[in-house]
Parts: sequence; C-alpha cells; structure tokens
Amino acid sequence: MRRFSAWGYLAFTVWGLGMATTVGGWRLGALAVAELAFGLAWSREGLGPLRRLRFWLLMAAAVALGPWLAGIHGIPGINGVPGRSGLTGAGHQVSWVGLSLGLEMAGRAMTLMLAFSLGLSCLSMSDLVAIFDGISCIPGISSLPSLNLRGLGLALGVATNMLTTLQTMARVTFETIKLRGGLRRPLVALRLFLVTLVSNTLRYGDQLVDAASVRAFDPQQGRARRVPLRRDDLWLVAAMAAFSVGVFLL
Amino acid sequence: MSSYKVRDWVIVGLFGALWGVVETTLGTYLNVIFPSFTNTFFKGVILGGIGVAVALTGRFFVRKRGSVLLIGVITALLKMLSPAGSRIGPIAAIIMQSVLMELVLSLAGDPQRWAFLLGGALAVGWNFPHKFIMMRIMYGRTIVQVYQKLTQDGSQMLGIDPSLALLILAVLLGVRLLAGGIAGWSAWALGGAVAERLGQRGQLAAQ
Repeated sequence: MRRFSAWGYLAFTVWGLGMATTVGGWRLGALAVAELAFGLAWSREGLGPLRRLRFWLLMAAAVALGPWLAGIHGIPGINGVPGRSGLTGAGHQVSWVGLSLGLEMAGRAMTLMLAFSLGLSCLSMSDLVAIFDGISCIPGISSLPSLNLRGLGLALGVATNMLTTLQTMARVTFETIKLRGGLRRPLVALRLFLVTLVSNTLRYGDQLVDAASVRAFDPQQGRARRVPLRRDDLWLVAAMAAFSVGVFLL
Repeated sequence: MSSYKVRDWVIVGLFGALWGVVETTLGTYLNVIFPSFTNTFFKGVILGGIGVAVALTGRFFVRKRGSVLLIGVITALLKMLSPAGSRIGPIAAIIMQSVLMELVLSLAGDPQRWAFLLGGALAVGWNFPHKFIMMRIMYGRTIVQVYQKLTQDGSQMLGIDPSLALLILAVLLGVRLLAGGIAGWSAWALGGAVAERLGQRGQLAAQ
C-alpha cells in the first residue's frame, strides 16, 4: 500500500542511508527492525532483495568472514577486547569478537540495501520526472540555467521506452554480422558492430526528434508536474527524527 | 541545461539507455561468471570500460557541458528502476565515473582526443578507490583490511609474491587506467567514424 508521496519515500531512503552509515552495534539491529516494519506496512515491493538467494549468500559471507578476518589480521576487538581470542580452526585463529564484527558488517550491508530498495522501489518513472520538475521549479534553482533539469524527464522517458528496442537492435546487428561470417575477423566485426549500433541509435534519435517537432514539443515549456507534500510525509519525517534522537540518546 | 535542445535530451536518453543495456545484459552474464562475492576486478574493468566508451561516444554527439553526467544519471536511474536493480555499489560507481569524465571534459573545453582518453582512464580507474570506499561504507571495513584483501587477490591473480604489495596494487590500478584510456580513445574513434558515415562532421564542429 502506498501511503506517502514520492518526497516521503525519497526522504526515507536518504534517512536510512544516513543512519546505516553512522550507527553501529545494536542500533543497526534497531534500524533493520524499523526498516522491515516500514517495508511490511508501506513498501512490500522493496522487500524483494530479501527473497533473493544472492542477498543471503552475501550476508552469510560477511558474517562468516568476520571471525576469520579478526583471526588472521588481528583486528582490534570491540571495546578493547582483543580479536585473537577464541577457537582455532584450519590453521587460523577464530574469534567471537570477530563474529560480532561480521554480524555488524552484515547488518550494515542489510540496512543500506533495505533503505535503498524500500524507498526507491515505490517511485515510478513519472514520480522521478515530477521530482526533477519540482527541483527545477524551486525559486533559487529555477534561475540557474545549469541546474534546469526539466528535460531530464524526457531523456528518462526516451531511455526507458527505447531500452528493449536497443537491446533487440544490438542482438539483430550481432546476429547479422555473425551470419555473414564477420566473426572470422573479430576486430573488424567489433568495429562494424559498434558503428552500426551507434548509427542506428542516432537514427532512432532523429526520428524521435522529428516526432517531437511535429507536435511542437519543448521540454522547457508547459506546466511542470509537481509532487505535493502530504500530511503523512510530515508524520514520517517526524517519526524518523524521533527514532534517530531515541537511538542516539539510548 | 537550458541550452539543451530536444535533440540533445533525446541523445542523452538514448546513450543512457545504451549504457543501461550494457549494465543489465552484459552485467548479468558477468555476474554469473564472476559472482559479486568473488574477485570483481575483471567485471569492473570490462563493464566500466564499455560503459565509459558508450558515455563518451554520447558526449561526441552532444557537445555540451554536463552531457556525460546526464547520461550517467539516466543509466543510474534505469539501473535503479530495473527489477534486479536498487543496488548501491554499481549505481554509486556509475555516478562517480560520469562525474569524473564530466570534470575532465569540462576542464578541457572543446572535445579533444586527449580529454576523452584521460576522462576514460580516470573513470575506469575509479573502480580502484571505489572498492575501498564501498567496503568502508557497506561493511565498515578499514582501509588496511581492504588493502590486505586486494593484495591477496591480486597476488593470486598475477602470480606475484604478496610481499610486493605496492607492485600488485600499481599493476591493478595501471590495468584499469589503461583499459579506461583505451575505452576513451575508442569512443573518440567510434564517434568520428559514425559522424563521417552520417555526414555530421561539419555539424558537430559547428556546435
């Protein structure tokens, strides 16, 4: 269920990234719980990484590496406890302090990934376009020509819609060169492939520009799309602020 | 950006999409060959080199300040919106690479071959400090730990004794800079070849 505006989700991502990089220890656990709760309530798609095997392999590798890193490299332990105390295995010393370091590494990676995916998975392309339009319309920024990003929405739209076309074009070009025996001379084939790919890309670009000209389209003109702030966004910001203060004070 | 015309935005979008295609298709294959928790040296050099070449070729056709940065932003947004996306590492790398290329090209003024070469080299060379910074941010590892890991991996890959750590790191950085330089030079050559074929040389020079 989508409850906040694009600004709310963007604020959550920025806050999550900031918190994950600044806090450590049990605070990371608290942050992970808060992010999971946010995901379950308002950003189910953002929990996608948790359903992937690769994500858990990465986490397991980080946890498993901790004791070995501390054992092999003699990393100073937490609160002055030496890192070399503990079990001995496979010719290396393994430490419990290292294990907690590994858990912290995994926790930080997890909270960073969740912050990124929970906030941004709820943003659609039109939200992003509206955000660029909104940034360009801020009074201080709109007067700076170098920061006028209103055309970026058009560029993003072109990129999204042409992605499949470009993929198909690259595959067709490659197959054509292959069928005509071009791969016998790899360097020539590579040159032909790249020149054809870029030429065709520019040709598509010209067609799009023609289509836009026929409609008298100008990205700088017309009314900019805006993303209004909702009352819920303010509640979210207040909750994030309260959580941050609470975590830092405890 | 107000000097940008519709054609400029369209080309920025198309080259951003091309870089995105490289990241999504080739990146997926390379992820299978070199999983993310193993050595990422080759993956970084191959993906970085091709991506940088695509972005710089785009710059050849949009000779305006900020175009490479915008191509990088579009690629990062595509990566973010893709189903398998929302991964911080590659997105941060794409943005930083495009910032470095833009910096060099903006300082150079008019597009020139040496600026493409230097911009490409710095952009692919970024993969080297990127590892240190991302490991620090993501896992809280110290520079010394990443340095030791890089030295061990590099020693195995190059067959050099781990005690020659500085040589190993210099080779790893040098290969990246060389690959990036070749990518930049290739982008300049490719842009020229395409412009010649499309008869745009004069138009581009007038921009």
